[in-house]
Amino acid sequence: MKDSTVRDIALMALRNLGRHRVKTIITTTAVAISVALYIFIDGWLLGMNLESRRNIVSYETGAAKIQTNAYFAKKDELPMYESFTGAEELSAKLTAAGYDSAPRFVFSGTLYSREGTAPMVFNAVDPVKEAKLLRYVPYIEAGRFPEPGKREIAVGTLSAAKLRIGIPERPEKAEFDSEILGAATNEEEAAFVRSFYTENTDGTLSVKKDGNAADRDRLWKLLAATGRMTVRISTVIDMKDADKPGAIRHVNQLIDATVVGVINSPNPKTNANVAYLPIDALQDESGMMLGGKVTEILIRASDAKDSVLPQGKETPERILTALGSALPTELALRGWKDYTGDYFAASAQDNVTSRIMIIMLFILSFIGIANTMLMAILERTKETGMLRALGMTDSQVLLAYVIEAGCIGAIGSIIGILIGCLINIPMVVYGIDYSAMSKEMSGDYGYRIVAYFRSAWNPLVIILSGVVATILSAASAIPPTLRALKMPVTDSLRFE
Amino acid sequence: MTVVETKNLVKDYALNGLTVHALQGVSLSFEAGEFAAVAGPSGSGKSTFLHLVGCLDAPTSGTITVAGNDVASRTRKELALLRRRSIGFIFQAYNLIPVLSALENVSLPLTLLGADKKEARESGLRALEEVGLGGYGNRRPKEMSGGQQQRVAIARALVKKPALILADEPTANLDSKTGMEILELMLALNKNVGTTFIFSTHDKMVMDYARRLVMLRDGMVAEEMRK
Repeated sequence: MKDSTVRDIALMALRNLGRHRVKTIITTTAVAISVALYIFIDGWLLGMNLESRRNIVSYETGAAKIQTNAYFAKKDELPMYESFTGAEELSAKLTAAGYDSAPRFVFSGTLYSREGTAPMVFNAVDPVKEAKLLRYVPYIEAGRFPEPGKREIAVGTLSAAKLRIGIPERPEKAEFDSEILGAATNEEEAAFVRSFYTENTDGTLSVKKDGNAADRDRLWKLLAATGRMTVRISTVIDMKDADKPGAIRHVNQLIDATVVGVINSPNPKTNANVAYLPIDALQDESGMMLGGKVTEILIRASDAKDSVLPQGKETPERILTALGSALPTELALRGWKDYTGDYFAASAQDNVTSRIMIIMLFILSFIGIANTMLMAILERTKETGMLRALGMTDSQVLLAYVIEAGCIGAIGSIIGILIGCLINIPMVVYGIDYSAMSKEMSGDYGYRIVAYFRSAWNPLVIILSGVVATILSAASAIPPTLRALKMPVTDSLRFE
Repeated sequence: MTVVETKNLVKDYALNGLTVHALQGVSLSFEAGEFAAVAGPSGSGKSTFLHLVGCLDAPTSGTITVAGNDVASRTRKELALLRRRSIGFIFQAYNLIPVLSALENVSLPLTLLGADKKEARESGLRALEEVGLGGYGNRRPKEMSGGQQQRVAIARALVKKPALILADEPTANLDSKTGMEILELMLALNKNVGTTFIFSTHDKMVMDYARRLVMLRDGMVAEEMRK
């Protein structure tokens, strides 16, 4: 087919768009909505996933972990009896190879405060190494991070609120009077406490936004003096019985500690029922009887950038190469993805659900286009017959209608891309505040985002969604055109 | 030179379970430059004959030769190409493409033949001049009268200089004065350009203009007159 012929057929197809203006506008709008929604949903999912992954690595797991194989197999049970020794030697080897490492002893138990109890996961950590490797330490919203060698503990903000630990952010009037104002020992302190809060219209009080760190520390100390920050850990120490292979010995243990900080990081996992305390304060009989044992070592490259997900030097293969023969056979090193099954499950489910919904919308749009084209082709049966009488081949007639439908798709796609991008701009810059949902679900909803779910730009999907919509639109003209072409030319010419 | 030749042309239709014998062995031949009308009452088979000769439909049996091409064994695409090259059509309802201007409608057959834009435009303008619509190139069909639209249809049929122009009831939608003008125009073109015209009609005026008249009745040639 010559270029001039294709050009004239395309011209005719374009002009035909104006013949069925209302139908064209409706179907173009349907395509535009589908494309815009696809871009919006895809950008949102991508944004949530990117941020979640960064937050997992930066606040939760590091790039990789070393655990015993037996521990990994039962990791959801937190089997502390599958711990190992020799973390110092491994850390030294990793440091020499350019990696930061942080040993941990993870155990579960119950945390008792003066006002309540909560099941917790306790992370016994080396505060210095932990602060170097993970990024949640600067997110102590009140107090400070525990210091080495002390029975101090930092808890997540959600459990702190549940256990009435730390500085209440929005206390009821009664709670304020009895517990916060009641902590003041003189008028000057009472005035200070009052000045720290502002009264809301609903009868509650809120911490003043302009309160500085020194004031927070002062109030923390006042409240701590009342015993508000004193807690007790109740746990069971599980140990392998050296005399009876396969048997696990349980020792009930109570450990008193003082809460020194409340964590509120961008990763909800660090803010939920989780506590951090120094590992060196738990080594003896009054602690966890660790004797140098750890359940895991977290690893990250010393020069890692928080904005970049682990790759290259931070892959398990490269870390293993750096460790060489230093890693005993009973230990295994695994990447961060092996420890975040809940996130990947939630992400995959959302991904599938959202995409199915959008694909259904796409299908509906294209049924609309197919219907428009069916009506247009039916209305122009006589005209089609005349074009065929003039010598237009079936493929040329098909091309004319495919171009016409493709143009509807292309115009709809362009509008959809524009709308999708316009919606994406505030979603990328500001996002949507889901902090209430995060709080309601105690931060346990898969995604590692605390407040603002932001979108991300995905240029490939933006372009591809338009291209696919255009191709699908064009393809929707094929069945009705083929049907029309089955009709003899004489019948087409007689069609009324 | 023979432009169209049919031998024992038979066309049967199935209609509501019944077989309609539209043509029953029509053998006719038309020479180059003829101005002929195939006439007859409704259902006589004149339109069917025109459709078969125009390669728009396939005969049940018999042979058709158009411009030296035996059309019986041709594929759909080959028939389309034959129509594109050798046959022009004029329809009762004009059948112009509403979204194209008069000039674009007239140029379309040349575009399909692969002519370049300039050549198609110039030939289209010339054809419009020939049918007396020199200044109407940019008008859309809906902006023209029935007579003007039929002139555009004639120009469209004529522009590619086909061996044969088939006109199916070309004056049926026009008043008698306009119909006569259209017939005068076609006759003049026939004389000046030498294009072969075959009409199907039951209009007395068309029959009067025709230089050869073939009367069909019940799908058979009933009478043939040459003037």
